[in-house]
Amino acid sequence: MADPILQISSVSKNFGGVVVLEDVSFVVEAGARHALIGPNGAGKTTMFNVISGVYQQNAGDVLFAGQNINDIPSRKRIALGMARSFQNIRLMPHLSVTENVMLGQHSQAGILDLLKPIMAMPRAHDKERAVELLDNFGLEAFQGRSVSELPYGVRKKIEVVRALMANPRLLLLDEPAAGLNVAETATLHDFLVEVAERGVTLLLVEHDMPFVNKLCDTVTVMNFGRRIYDGPVSGLREDKNVLEAYLGADA
Amino acid sequence: MSGYLSGLIGILGINIIFAYSIYVTAATGQLNLGGAGFQAIGAYSCAVLSEMFGLSIPFLLLLSTIIGATVGFLVAFPILRTRGVYMVLATFAFAEIVAGVILNSDSLGGPTGLVLSDYIETDVIIWSTIGVVVFCFYLMSTRIGLAMRAVHDDEAVADLLGVNRRAVQVGAFAIGGALAGLSGGLYALYFGFVEAQYFNAFLSIFVLLYVLIGGTQTAWGALIGASFFTLVPELLRMGDDWRFFIFGVIIVVMMIWRPEGMVTRQAIDRITLKLFPVVRRHG
Amino acid sequence: MVFTQQLVNGLMLGSIYISVAVAFTLTIGILNFLNFTIPALYMLAGMVGWSVSYYGLPFGLSEPLGWAPSLLVGITCSVLASLLVERFTYRYFKIKHGDSTEHAIPLVSSLGFLLIFEYAILGAHGSETRGFHTPFTDLNWRFADLVISIPQVTSLILSLCIVVGLSFMLKKTRIGRALRATAESPDTATLMGVEVRKIVPIVFVLTGLLCGLAGSIFAVNYSEVSPYMGDHVGTKAIAAMVIGGLGSVWGAIAGGLIVGISETFSIHFFGASSAQITVWGLLLVLLIFRPNGLFGHNAIGKGKF
Repeated sequence: MADPILQISSVSKNFGGVVVLEDVSFVVEAGARHALIGPNGAGKTTMFNVISGVYQQNAGDVLFAGQNINDIPSRKRIALGMARSFQNIRLMPHLSVTENVMLGQHSQAGILDLLKPIMAMPRAHDKERAVELLDNFGLEAFQGRSVSELPYGVRKKIEVVRALMANPRLLLLDEPAAGLNVAETATLHDFLVEVAERGVTLLLVEHDMPFVNKLCDTVTVMNFGRRIYDGPVSGLREDKNVLEAYLGADA
Repeated sequence: MSGYLSGLIGILGINIIFAYSIYVTAATGQLNLGGAGFQAIGAYSCAVLSEMFGLSIPFLLLLSTIIGATVGFLVAFPILRTRGVYMVLATFAFAEIVAGVILNSDSLGGPTGLVLSDYIETDVIIWSTIGVVVFCFYLMSTRIGLAMRAVHDDEAVADLLGVNRRAVQVGAFAIGGALAGLSGGLYALYFGFVEAQYFNAFLSIFVLLYVLIGGTQTAWGALIGASFFTLVPELLRMGDDWRFFIFGVIIVVMMIWRPEGMVTRQAIDRITLKLFPVVRRHG
Repeated sequence: MVFTQQLVNGLMLGSIYISVAVAFTLTIGILNFLNFTIPALYMLAGMVGWSVSYYGLPFGLSEPLGWAPSLLVGITCSVLASLLVERFTYRYFKIKHGDSTEHAIPLVSSLGFLLIFEYAILGAHGSETRGFHTPFTDLNWRFADLVISIPQVTSLILSLCIVVGLSFMLKKTRIGRALRATAESPDTATLMGVEVRKIVPIVFVLTGLLCGLAGSIFAVNYSEVSPYMGDHVGTKAIAAMVIGGLGSVWGAIAGGLIVGISETFSIHFFGASSAQITVWGLLLVLLIFRPNGLFGHNAIGKGKF
């Protein structure tokens, strides 16, 4: 069997005296649509930050496609094939939509690509690719627009498109459905299914359970920095620990 | 060309190159309030090298540029440990120290300054300016330029997208140092005289203002800002003091009216759309 | 003996820096705003004071006034100028952009105001240094060889009193608590019922007062004023603030005295222009290796431009 795309083994992280992640392990198989859920403060975003290298864990290992990436700096992880979005959209406010998306390609540019005056050339290859990807997801109308003037849902999608420009094998999405209305959530679902069908593994932190149920097949549940469940989404309902965490001790 | 006009073009070119030296760092999100220090290094290098070794003009300018770049590169490491207001103050301190060292060393002429026997005509400045402007527009249109603007907007995300922010920031300081060094070299050769008092805190403040008022979003900002603030006071033909008074008023008004600078991306988009309405925009 | 005399001179010089450094540190600590008009406010008090004592009030309102009322007019002028700065830099931007104000914008505006004030005075009065005469210019105490000027001691005590009073105000009064809450987080302060819009002008009034007093003290002690008097003090006060740590009132006091003393010693031992290298070198090293200064907080001034 092939290596799983992401292996978290016994990861712990504390800030000062506060333990945020305690001996957390889980595995994301290649091609999976995996969700990481849990109540607020469970350590989900911290886990994302450890995976993408923003924080260095205090103990444990992160393996990406079989390779230990503990010592690989955050900047170089995107080139390995993992890209992420952020809980509060972090597009570059002074860059246009196309420019933001093109930035996603940065990790793949060679030294000569860096020196090409792409912005001045209307038909530059790199730009064409960005436009094409925007086209694919029905976002072509927003190309030259300034990011700040776009609706929230559109910006969320653009952030995902930016991540996709890096040709990732694993896409980390931090609360993609948060702040979206029902219609927008439905479009996002279709959008992510389309992304997954291109062979991208999805790992998402999410609070919207119906959304998770519909989109994901496996799930890891965390509470107070510990893993309390790991398995198929269908098994959630019967799990004692999960019910306890969400509904209180008497459940 | 009349003497007055060529003098004006000379100082305009020097100011534009100087403004670009500050622009390059400002475009990556770092405010350099020590421009005068970098320019002084270029000017004094040029003056000393000219007197000691009698090098040819192109060599002198090249060496001023290289020395400026080296200083910018070396200074970047300690300066980049600081952030925000601290960086403004650290760069300011750097310029004060440079001025202090010059004033205190007899070999650099101390307060009396140095006289050069070499000199250049205005056309050297014109060609240098064109070269620098073209270079900066080119730089900002490359993927490096995109990365610089990304670091300006959000360092952490730029890093996660694979941008080597350290290299971008240090590189910006080195290029900034190079351009300031070049402008200093041109200044020394054009006026035939350098003195420490010229490279004072107000010069650093002015050049930073050229850039911030011009706008840091596009490469037009430094060009427009430096030209505006060099030419308009000339056109107004006022006494020196009232000229700077007006300069201050313009700055305050500009910050209220267009806090992002005279030239913003949106403004450029609007102009392009007016001039070429049929072109489908990709940028 | 030379040593003690230099120490005394340094302390006296430092007492001027203290007030200006406190003005800087207050605006940075509470508003996260490096207010570059501060040196100009300091200069305004001195120059306006001189002008009133020489020409009288403008528009022929009065004969030349005595030194004390003149300086009072000067200080009033500093406060009014400071409020003008507040109106056109800080207040405007806070309302328009909220907390996400790009810090560079008020900073740039304040540089604009620095030019406006400085060059208005230069345009009106020229660049000469003017004598400012008070009856007690030559009052000195002498202990053996040591000369201590009485006005200088008085002003040292006065500066310290003001600063101590100020830090008492910040700690104990309602306004002081509101100011400190605003410094922590303007958003939270608003939620807690602090009217941030009313607090901000208070900071600027205090800034104007501190600078005006410092400018007047300088005029009395050194018997001269000039349009450039602010530049020298401004840079030294910035250095003092950084040494003490941004946002710390007591740090500004320590920093002011340290800068004053190191300046007089440096001038005495290495010549006049060496002070620049000493003070700024010290400052640069501190900024890089100990950016919080001696007493500063971690979070202040790190905001991105």
